[in-house]
Amino acid sequence: KLFIYNPTTGEFLGRTAKSWGLILLFYLVFYGFLAALFSFTMWAMLQTLNDEVPKYRDQIPSPGLMVFPKPLTALEYSFTVSDPESYQGYIEDLRKFLKPYNLEEQKNLTACPDGALNEQKGPVYGACQFPLTLLQECSGVDDPEFGYSKGNPCVLVKMNRIIGLKPQGEPRIECTSKSENTAALSTYPPKGTIDLKYFPYYGKKLHVSYLQPLVAVQVSFNATSSTVNEVTVECKIDGSPNLKNQDDRDKFLGRVVFKVTARA
Amino acid sequence: MTKKTLEIYSVELSGTKDIQQTDKGNGKEKYRGLKNCFEPRKNHYKEELRKEVDLDDHKLSIKELEKKYDTNIITGLSSTQAAELLARNGPNALTPPKETPEIIKFLKQMVGGFSILLWIGAILCWIAYGIQYSMNTSSSLDNVYLGCVLALVVILTGIFAYYQEAKSTNIMATFNKMIPQQALVIRDSEKMTIPAEELVVGDIVEIRGGDRIPADIRLLSVQGCKVDNSSLTGESEPQPRSSEFTHDSPLETKNIGFYSTTCLEGTATGMVINTGDRTIIGQIASLASGVGNEKTPIAIEIQHFVHIVAGVAVSIGILFFIIAVSLKYQVLDSIIFLIGIIVANVPEGLLATVTVTLSLTAKRMAKKNCLVKNLEAVETLGSTSIICSDKTGTLTQNRMTVAHLWFDNQIFIADTSEDHSNQVFDQSSGTWASLSKIITLCNRAEFSPGQESVPIMKRVVVGDASETALLKFSEVILGDVMEIRKRNHKVAEIPFNSTNKFQLSIHKTDDPNDQRFLLVMKGAPERILEKCSTIMVNGQKQPLDKNTAEAFHTAYMELGGLGERVLGFCHLYLPADEFPETYTFDVDTMNFPTSNLCFVGLLSMIDPPRSTVPDAVTKCRSAGIKVIMVTGDHPITAKAIAKSVGIISANSETVEDIAKRLHIAVEQVNKRDAKAAVVTGMELKDMSPEQLDELLTNYSEIVFARTSPQQKLIIVEGCQRQNAVVAVTGDGVNDSPALKKADIGIAMGIAGSDAAKNAADMILLDDNFASIVTGVEEGRLIFDNLKKTIAYTLTKNIAELCPFLIYIIVGLPLPIGTITILFIDLGTDIIPSIALAYEKAESDIMNRKPRHKKKDRLVNQQLAIYSYLHIGLMQAVGAFVAYFTVYAQEGFKPSILINIRVEWEDSNVNDLEDSYGQQWTWYQRKYLEWMGYTAFFVGIMVQQIADLIIRKTRRNSIFQQGLFRPQYWFVAVPFAILIWVYDEVRKLFIRLYPGSWWDKNMYY
Repeated sequence: KLFIYNPTTGEFLGRTAKSWGLILLFYLVFYGFLAALFSFTMWAMLQTLNDEVPKYRDQIPSPGLMVFPKPLTALEYSFTVSDPESYQGYIEDLRKFLKPYNLEEQKNLTACPDGALNEQKGPVYGACQFPLTLLQECSGVDDPEFGYSKGNPCVLVKMNRIIGLKPQGEPRIECTSKSENTAALSTYPPKGTIDLKYFPYYGKKLHVSYLQPLVAVQVSFNATSSTVNEVTVECKIDGSPNLKNQDDRDKFLGRVVFKVTARA
Repeated sequence: MTKKTLEIYSVELSGTKDIQQTDKGNGKEKYRGLKNCFEPRKNHYKEELRKEVDLDDHKLSIKELEKKYDTNIITGLSSTQAAELLARNGPNALTPPKETPEIIKFLKQMVGGFSILLWIGAILCWIAYGIQYSMNTSSSLDNVYLGCVLALVVILTGIFAYYQEAKSTNIMATFNKMIPQQALVIRDSEKMTIPAEELVVGDIVEIRGGDRIPADIRLLSVQGCKVDNSSLTGESEPQPRSSEFTHDSPLETKNIGFYSTTCLEGTATGMVINTGDRTIIGQIASLASGVGNEKTPIAIEIQHFVHIVAGVAVSIGILFFIIAVSLKYQVLDSIIFLIGIIVANVPEGLLATVTVTLSLTAKRMAKKNCLVKNLEAVETLGSTSIICSDKTGTLTQNRMTVAHLWFDNQIFIADTSEDHSNQVFDQSSGTWASLSKIITLCNRAEFSPGQESVPIMKRVVVGDASETALLKFSEVILGDVMEIRKRNHKVAEIPFNSTNKFQLSIHKTDDPNDQRFLLVMKGAPERILEKCSTIMVNGQKQPLDKNTAEAFHTAYMELGGLGERVLGFCHLYLPADEFPETYTFDVDTMNFPTSNLCFVGLLSMIDPPRSTVPDAVTKCRSAGIKVIMVTGDHPITAKAIAKSVGIISANSETVEDIAKRLHIAVEQVNKRDAKAAVVTGMELKDMSPEQLDELLTNYSEIVFARTSPQQKLIIVEGCQRQNAVVAVTGDGVNDSPALKKADIGIAMGIAGSDAAKNAADMILLDDNFASIVTGVEEGRLIFDNLKKTIAYTLTKNIAELCPFLIYIIVGLPLPIGTITILFIDLGTDIIPSIALAYEKAESDIMNRKPRHKKKDRLVNQQLAIYSYLHIGLMQAVGAFVAYFTVYAQEGFKPSILINIRVEWEDSNVNDLEDSYGQQWTWYQRKYLEWMGYTAFFVGIMVQQIADLIIRKTRRNSIFQQGLFRPQYWFVAVPFAILIWVYDEVRKLFIRLYPGSWWDKNMYY
């Protein structure tokens, strides 16, 4: 119709070529300017940031707990002992995750004294060794299948990294089975201790080779005979007054609940 | 007289035909009043009216009538009969136009405008919850809450709008019920007063001067009764009534009195022949309800705006729904995005704001005597481009007033202003002394008693219009007229009648030395002159020669040409020898001379324009509004008034004027030379619509005279064909179709009939044209300010919308939540946008043309683009910077945020790593997200302040418009600092000295 192209006025879609040109030019300049302004303010804002430490850490005063490997759905580990395929993923994840904890990898790290915070002044920040042997049965050294093939799976519990966090007291991971007597839980290192020497954390950039302290939980089912064994495990941080483990809304603040289902 | 009325009625019928054409679609339910008796046929209106008018009760003798209505003219109906008839025929009242049921009105508010979009949003919310629930029974109720909030928003804004509407309707309801009418009726041989509503056919009623006739009645006996049929015919002359059958047509015959017309003087007894909707006026009133109510311009504008916004919302919503689905989002998520987009796009609070704004203006206008019935009419007046104004009462004072005098061969001008205070003409001449005496004595009008404290011009007078004018005129100049009359005792009198065309009275004079009787006479000037042989000049009697007669004619023509009603005055001192003190005058045999009198002077009267009108008309002119006068009055009078108020400006001429000036025939005049036109109803009747269009476009100054109120409708339609927004003023029942047809009907509050008030959108409480001008000003201001309000409100929509789009495409954590958006739209933004309604005009809004209905939209492309794509985008960018800043300072740099959405929202991921290697639980992230909402919200808010300031003006600099002076912000600052310091000191001492006197008293 005439609206699309009007031969008398030379209007295309209601505007002449010149008008279109001007309007496009205008928006080019306008949006160009706006984009430049946006980029500039963003750049300026990023300049004010410290590369090593975020400006505020008030949103994460206390760390959360998380388990590893991460199950496919929710926090439920389910596998069949007789079917290696079903737990292959977990094992691979664990191996990959524990690779930096190999002795070889930890050669350059310092062996720090136990039971004391490892405060450093920089400019170079060293990381403390976390010998894999601390995880004993779950280290993957003796049992490359982390107990899955025996129906006693290992799950790693780790505390979220927070820059500058200095736990008080003697923090440890306390795991309890919610279903009575169906399974025994063993924690490695013994008592689930998290040594203070791994704190404080100085951030990704400064603390390059930092190794996060881990606690492994091994679930050993009592009744190996039954075809399906199920247990719900709750792990909490304990022994440290400034690490919260009881929050109404945040179910992962200092605690974690997971379920293990092992089929024969 | 009869001929003229005949013409008016034939026109009226074609007027009816016209209505039929415009409303063919749903005439069925609209012509309620007429349908009662007739099956709807193709052209039934015309037939019905004619048939109904063919009532033959006026032809019947009293005996036949008694038989027909089973009544007795002496004893009246019995009360049982009356009760029966009342039950059968219903009350004697016009059925008010069918009201839309309240529930329908309410529901309309619930689904109108954006409500439907929000309902969709709410339903989508519930659907989303349904899907969630079917997948996981423990899913969160967030979506249900959001749906409820949306529904609540719709319902609350709906209730609010409904309440506002109802409030303005209620004003009307109280207005209608002000005066319950009473009627004096004979029943069971007893006279009793009953409410007029209870009258039934066959009742015998008595009417007195000043009464409103309570039903259509056949007059049985009449004493000097005159009625004012203006509400029915637009005819302002009082019409005599008698009990004789004088004309075939019931409308012409003198023995019928019509419902709602007024009996001016005399008394009459009549039999009720029609009640309620079956009366003539009832039928015409129900025709009015057949004229479709036009949508108001602002309603059209708002609808246009709603369409634009809804169009944007729906198309963006669907586009992104498709994008979301093709980006492999789940359908559930996509639905939630859709809700977000709808909520972000719809300015939830805007329609409520508009309502508030309009009602604020309506309130302001009510203070200035414009009562607005329909809120939207507030703006309509502002966009008005043609005003069709009635003459009588609106432009004029609606009372005859002495305007000019002619004596001593000179024309004098009398003060016609509202209070007559400034009479400057020369009152020293002897002629004036004689003339004033005639004016005072030859006058039967009297003030109603007990009005001594009332200003003269406002006193109630018993008597006809011109006598009233003369009475008030003489009272102002001479003082106590009644006292003068007492001193000059009246001995004989012949009242005015249309055959004589004069009025005469004979008095004893108040001069004790003069025993002569004084005969005074007034009447039609040419008749008076015939009876005179001498003329008084400078107090001396002179023979009436050709020169003086010539002078008289010139003066008479000149005054008549001004459209004024001219009266001649003469007197004669009867010689004392022939007429001694004891002489008995007999008015029937006329035993006294009525010729060879002495001519004293002429006096002309007019219904003068209100003093505020010329100024108001000029203002309308400069505001580009064409003022058209439509009147039932004589063309000459109409033209004279039009000239004096400026509807026809001083230097413009009609075709006839040009012809007269050039001494050529009217046909030879080039029609383009004339700017003004005076068109009579008869000419209008012969015009085709095309000719009317041509007339309306070619002449800028038009006066329609001698028009029937039905022709008003044709004129209004003609104006509307020119794409004009037409305002019509009117007061009679017959004006109601035109009032309804007009874009804005303006009824007179004092003179207006209920039917007119019902049909109108606005009521002028003081009947003053000048009030319309204030209305126009307010209306224009509100249009400008609404534009600003909408621009302000639309701006943030983009800032609310962008987050969703970015969220979907780039996968950032959601920058702003749906509830937060609602909080902006219904919370923080409401008051600033209402405040814009108070913004004063940027420039002289009364100096620009009225907006073009089709071109000057409330929301045009420029407004939408500027708000959305310029300011809105800037706002979005600003808010995003705030959002990114919060995240970056908490540890999530912008680079890491991209495509973080899935992990971010997964409640099973509780060790999400930020840019610094820290790990966050889901809830910690959620908390951060809320902080982001706040940042984004505050970002929008801060920029909305700037937006508010820029929206104050569209062209002027904000510094020209004036802002609250910034220095005042700082006046209280020292005290603010004091508060702060004081409290810090308080807290310091509390901490320093726990348990001390200070702590006990000051710690809370």
